[in-house]
Amino acid sequence: MVNVMKGILVECDAAMKQFLLHLDETFALGKKFIIQDLDERHLFISADILETLQTKVDDLMDQISFPLADKGL
Amino acid sequence: MGPPKRFKKDNDKGKWKKRKEDHDEYFDDDHGDGGDTEGIPDAAKNDIEKQDEGAVEDEFGAKDYRSQMILKPDNSSRPLWVAPNGHIFLESFSPVYKHAHDFLIAISEPVCRPEHIHEYKLTAYSLYAAVSVGLQTHDIIEYLKRLSKTSIPDGIIEFIQLCTLSYGKVKLVLKHNKYFVESPFPEVLQKLLKDPVIQECRLRRNLDETDKDGFITNVQDKTKAPQFGTKTSATATPTTAPAPAEGNGEQPSAEPVAVPEDISTFYDKIDKEDEDEEEEAQLKTVSFEVNQEKIEVIQKRCIELEHPLLAEYDFRNDTVNPDINFDLKPSAVLRPYQEKSLRKMFGNGRARSGVIVLPCGAGKSLVGVTACCTVRKRALVLCNSGVSVEQWKQQFKMWSTADDSMICRFTSEAKDKPMGCGILVTTYSMITHTQKRSWEAEQTMKWLQEQEWGIMVLDEVHTIPAKMFRRVLTIVQSHCKLGLTATLLREDDKIADLNFLIGPKLYEANWLELQKRGFIARVQCAEVWCPMTPEFYREYLSCKTSKKLLLYVMNPSKFRCCQYLIRYHERRGDKTIVFSDNVFALKHYAIKMNKPYIYGPTSQSERIQILQNFKFNTKVNTIFVSKVADTSFDLPEANVLIQISSHGGSRRQEAQRLGRILRAKKGAIAEEYNAFFYTLVSQDTMEMNYSRKRQRFLVNQGYAYKVITKLAGMDEEPDLMYKTREEQGQLLQQVLSASDMDADEERIPGEGPRPAMRRPGNMASMSGADDTVYYEYKKSAASSTANKHPLFKKFRT
Repeated sequence: MVNVMKGILVECDAAMKQFLLHLDETFALGKKFIIQDLDERHLFISADILETLQTKVDDLMDQISFPLADKGL
Repeated sequence: MGPPKRFKKDNDKGKWKKRKEDHDEYFDDDHGDGGDTEGIPDAAKNDIEKQDEGAVEDEFGAKDYRSQMILKPDNSSRPLWVAPNGHIFLESFSPVYKHAHDFLIAISEPVCRPEHIHEYKLTAYSLYAAVSVGLQTHDIIEYLKRLSKTSIPDGIIEFIQLCTLSYGKVKLVLKHNKYFVESPFPEVLQKLLKDPVIQECRLRRNLDETDKDGFITNVQDKTKAPQFGTKTSATATPTTAPAPAEGNGEQPSAEPVAVPEDISTFYDKIDKEDEDEEEEAQLKTVSFEVNQEKIEVIQKRCIELEHPLLAEYDFRNDTVNPDINFDLKPSAVLRPYQEKSLRKMFGNGRARSGVIVLPCGAGKSLVGVTACCTVRKRALVLCNSGVSVEQWKQQFKMWSTADDSMICRFTSEAKDKPMGCGILVTTYSMITHTQKRSWEAEQTMKWLQEQEWGIMVLDEVHTIPAKMFRRVLTIVQSHCKLGLTATLLREDDKIADLNFLIGPKLYEANWLELQKRGFIARVQCAEVWCPMTPEFYREYLSCKTSKKLLLYVMNPSKFRCCQYLIRYHERRGDKTIVFSDNVFALKHYAIKMNKPYIYGPTSQSERIQILQNFKFNTKVNTIFVSKVADTSFDLPEANVLIQISSHGGSRRQEAQRLGRILRAKKGAIAEEYNAFFYTLVSQDTMEMNYSRKRQRFLVNQGYAYKVITKLAGMDEEPDLMYKTREEQGQLLQQVLSASDMDADEERIPGEGPRPAMRRPGNMASMSGADDTVYYEYKKSAASSTANKHPLFKKFRT
């Protein structure tokens, strides 16, 4: 039987790929979402997770950046 | 920092500025924590920030002040905006910039000083400082009105009046070793004397000169009181001359049209008053004497009555303490800004207590030495470490005529004979030491406590906790106190304490201006982003916090960047210092690259050897140091600084480190930049956050950071380490096997709380029974008889 899954190709740098793998392994989004680990900088992930994944990555970026504009330079 | 600040006529940016206030609060003052509010006058507790709540905000948070501020028709020639919330914006390109700048420095705190628009803020403390250097309420308001493009909001005028009217009216003067409360306003003294507490402190003597109120009235002919600089040495006088000329003479004449008449004339007036208070000197002052033992009481009471006493020391008329015979050498020439800061201190022929803020490397020690030479009484210099004690001694010998016999060091390593010397250099910890001292030290301490010191110089004053400082004050009797620092900020809110423990801020230099004029090096600040290697990042994501630090510091790409930068600058013939707070990383980097390193446990002799080599040996161009070198390590040769790990988001550390390379370099004009400050940051980690936090202070001083995402030429560089996956893997193994202790930052003894140590143990060791086994001594009875009297021995056993 043929299973059809809609997927998205993600291209990122090597460190970010590790972050995605980390999310996948720790079930941070509630389930596994990586369909295929292609190479160093490419992943194939399931399409329905995209939105939550994006917010997760935004969260990471917020964590490591210090809001200069807000808190006054 | 974002793009340069831009102004939308009179509704300036509001919301983000507003929010920033909440944040900045901890370095101006926070009266929230109880207990500390004691001893701070009520006026200082007023928060002017809240005065603009009525203003309308637009969608970007900008506030509409149009109703409160009316634009003047000749606004283009005036340089200031004064916002109702106490913030003042100054156009640094204005022809009257110079006038306005000096004035604003005196009355307000600089918040942010980039190239074109400077932001200042009026605070109760800054106004207090303004009054203490001799400005009057009326003058402040008047001059502010003239400089402003718009009318001054009523709230601001009220605030200024509130803060300044009561301040600075009464002075505590030490004359002939008697304390006097002095004031040009008899009514103020009368008011004070009505207070029962103060009456008790008053010392009555039967003197002829008292009038019916019991005041001692004297008309001072201060004309004979010489100005600072005239007496110190012959060479100091010529340097005095150019400074005021620069200030008001030349500039307006160069651009005569642009300066509104009233500004320049008024400036002249203020400037004159500031420099030689001839008119004021003729004032009649009244005073009453105070019981010396009750000084503390009266000081506290006066603060409660909203008339804080300004401490001044009339050192020229002090005949009780012997003059110490030393002077500035003729070769010591003060730079204009050093001159200016000292003039604030000795403005009226007496010495005021206060803090002078100058960037590192801008010659703080010369200011300290000159102040001591001016007072010419016994001087006590307090600094942070044994190394800086040596450096201060050298500075004294270099700039003044003091010789070895006059300078006494008092540290754990070097104890010179204190008796008969004029200058004592010691450390804070030495003075406040509470445990048992050696006999020698005990004697010195006793001597130190008995003396009456003319001046006390406090180096790096921001670093000492208020508690320690209070202890110093109880031990040492000194007439006036001078605090020196580069960065008057702390991550906690203890700066306000300094205001009242030492005195107001007398002067703060503008870093960029000094840089432009070549007094400090031109520094290019850069943040180099090093990508985390996948393996390291993977571990980073899954491990606990303490290990994370080690992982991002030991990131192989960071190592490679560091190695590349070191090589690059070695080829240019630069001298490089590499900073790492983490000792594990420090050792690893240094040993791998085969460079000398200094950290806490390095012995004094080894340190000196390494530093000497760094200075003079052309083969040693790079050294690795831990945070022991943050302050007071004088390395004038270094012009490149690479930071691989740091203490969280500490702004002060960042500024102090930059200070290590700020000393002016040769050929300062030839190149655009002559010093480089790199911070290596591992991408996608917490380090990015810290790094941004750390930069705030320097950004506010007008420095711009360049972000480098990829170092050009790094790929061509042969044999950089950790190129292959295997090598990186090995490094990762090493890092992972490192203990938690390694991940910690280095602790300097006496700094912060004791580190919690983790070591494996079991229940037995927890209960203190680790290596004691319960044991019955069979022979106990026999051995106990050994000590017994022979008589009893006979009868028992």
